Amino acid sequence: MKISRREWVLAAACWAEVLRAQSSQSDQLIWFNPADAAEIKAIAVQIIPDDDTPGAGTAGVIWFIDRSLAGYDQDKQELYKRGVAETQAKRAELFPGSTSIASLSNDQQIALLKAIEKTDFFQQVRLHAILGFFGQPIGLKLVGVQHQMHYEPPFGYYDGEVARSGSK
Amino acid sequence: MSMAQFRPTDTVDFIVIGIGAAGGVMAKELATSGFRVVALEQGPWRHEKDFKHDEVAVMFRAGLTNNPKKQLNTFRKTPSDPAQQQQAVEYGCMVGGGSVHFTTNYWRFHPEDFRERSVFGPVPGADLRDWPITYDDLEPYYTKAEWDLGISGLGGSNPFDGPRSKPYPLPPMPVKSSGVLFERGAKKLGLHPFPAPLAIISEQYRGRPACVHCGYCEAFGCEVGAKSSTLAALIPAAVKTGRCEVRPNSYVRKIETGKDGRVTGAIYFDTDGREVFQRAKAVVVCANGAETPRLLLMSKSNAFPEGLGNSDGNVGKYLMFDSGGFAFGLFEHPLNEYKSVVVTRVLHDYYRSDPKRGFYGGGGIDGRFDYYPAGFALAGMPLDGPQWGSEWKREIGQYYTHMSGTLAHASCLAVEQNSISLDDKVKDAWGLPAMRVTFKNHPDDLKAADFLMERQKEILLAAGAKKVWADPTTLGEITYSRHLMGSCRMGDDPKTSVVNKWNRVHDVPNLYLVDGSSLVTCARQQPTATIQALAYRLSDNIRRGASL
Repeated sequence: MKISRREWVLAAACWAEVLRAQSSQSDQLIWFNPADAAEIKAIAVQIIPDDDTPGAGTAGVIWFIDRSLAGYDQDKQELYKRGVAETQAKRAELFPGSTSIASLSNDQQIALLKAIEKTDFFQQVRLHAILGFFGQPIGLKLVGVQHQMHYEPPFGYYDGEVARSGSK
Repeated sequence: MSMAQFRPTDTVDFIVIGIGAAGGVMAKELATSGFRVVALEQGPWRHEKDFKHDEVAVMFRAGLTNNPKKQLNTFRKTPSDPAQQQQAVEYGCMVGGGSVHFTTNYWRFHPEDFRERSVFGPVPGADLRDWPITYDDLEPYYTKAEWDLGISGLGGSNPFDGPRSKPYPLPPMPVKSSGVLFERGAKKLGLHPFPAPLAIISEQYRGRPACVHCGYCEAFGCEVGAKSSTLAALIPAAVKTGRCEVRPNSYVRKIETGKDGRVTGAIYFDTDGREVFQRAKAVVVCANGAETPRLLLMSKSNAFPEGLGNSDGNVGKYLMFDSGGFAFGLFEHPLNEYKSVVVTRVLHDYYRSDPKRGFYGGGGIDGRFDYYPAGFALAGMPLDGPQWGSEWKREIGQYYTHMSGTLAHASCLAVEQNSISLDDKVKDAWGLPAMRVTFKNHPDDLKAADFLMERQKEILLAAGAKKVWADPTTLGEITYSRHLMGSCRMGDDPKTSVVNKWNRVHDVPNLYLVDGSSLVTCARQQPTATIQALAYRLSDNIRRGASL
């Protein structure tokens, strides 16, 4: 399922909450238990990997998801509970003898998520991970936004080209 | 002078319900003409300092819009389908309404838009009608709106526009890379792009500072007051008269009617949930094309058992939505579209309906790229590539600053069964019947959007895009809209319309409606200029001595 342009405006959460949680040095989860938080974090980090640039782990996305589920997105709690259980069942089916999502190898995690990527649960975690990451300065930086309150033209290459040549 | 304060038992001259694009005009025009006005607004009263660049709060938590978790609505495509709980309408919910968070495209309708039925004849399956007024009737009020609010643009630059009595008060905004490329591509194809008329001031105007190009226009409130919302441009003048009281957080549940069939005031829940009855000599409803019909339907009385203005069953019918798809292009050099206003170039070459195409309709096309970072990461990348993981993450970093797009603003026909009605099961957080939205596009709407999509791709290719693609989620039948139009339409015949050509409800002498609901056709979207021109025209008529 792809989240449509018309649907994404209907989604939820607020990154100001995660920044508050991080800045207060509080490592208390509000809604998740630590084991489930580690599993969700592993999924979020596969969605937005910490590779040559910062990803969902560095950005503290798990705190954002925790605060969202405790607040604005309380109506998504059941989806998370059911989704974690179903994903664990899928993990056990694909990788017998494994004990958690977080302890799977990188390739195994990717294979597991490809197997569930069409589910509402995966799409919800993807939505939360993206909001928690791209809603804060770390995400703006990734897409090349130098965030300021005031810009002056030229704004980009092509309007700059017109300004330089004085013609179109 | 401090803001007026009236008691509910004071019979004020006017209650304005919903102080948005139209209500802001009404409040200011009536108060400065000497009338005593109470404006009831369901949303809060925010100011420049309250607006922030927080995409998640604004775009994903209904920060400035109707709250779908409290203001539930149901949706169905046709009356024979079961209505499901699903948000179908979005509107600005605050003092200033949609004029605070809109993208600011400020197009006048074309002269022909007011008489399309006469020009093109009937369309099977739709109820295409002429307006009871002409472009010439409205022209002075388009001009008044442009000068009162502060619109930037270049008069005469759109060869398809009707005649205008004055130029725009402010020069166009500086062109962005999206506008340069749009113009380049369009001119190669022999088309006629022109600088976008925008409700954003390009220079200091009447004490308000010029735009600072921060890039957070669409869906956000302007932090410097450069967006020409009624909040920034008109409501302060209304309040300053000492004759206008704005009451935010006031959720109207009923317009009360007396035995003589005249309205006597409005009942609303205040900030603390207490019920208040405010008396008035007349009521103007400006609650938007979805909430206005809902309120009329909830305002049942002995005189009007089917709701106000609904003696012939027309309230809520002929709802029109915003149609039209997105095409994207990837370019070699950075455009940095995240800076400054959304749109700087537009074209109307495909606006007019052409019978040779085999369907009714057309549209305007603008050059824009209006994704904020999280929305883009969610849904902006081409669907033929990955949507998560390292490769996706690398590509996002390359695409976001190098993309442009075009959006079509397409025709949407008035169809009787497309409507706002009251849900018979679901209630909102105040215990009132939830809004039930019934909407299914006329087949010609989809043909027009598909036709425009091909034109949009041609423009991007002609502009030199390396890769061009359509956003398929923006094509096909619409189930969600931010433009809410046509649900209490204007007409001379009470049997087929709700308000007369002066925006007065046919069978209630002191009840006026002016907002998107009045529109007989939606032209090619971008209804704000027309809605505000209608409000200036109505207030002018009231000032000239219409009996209350």
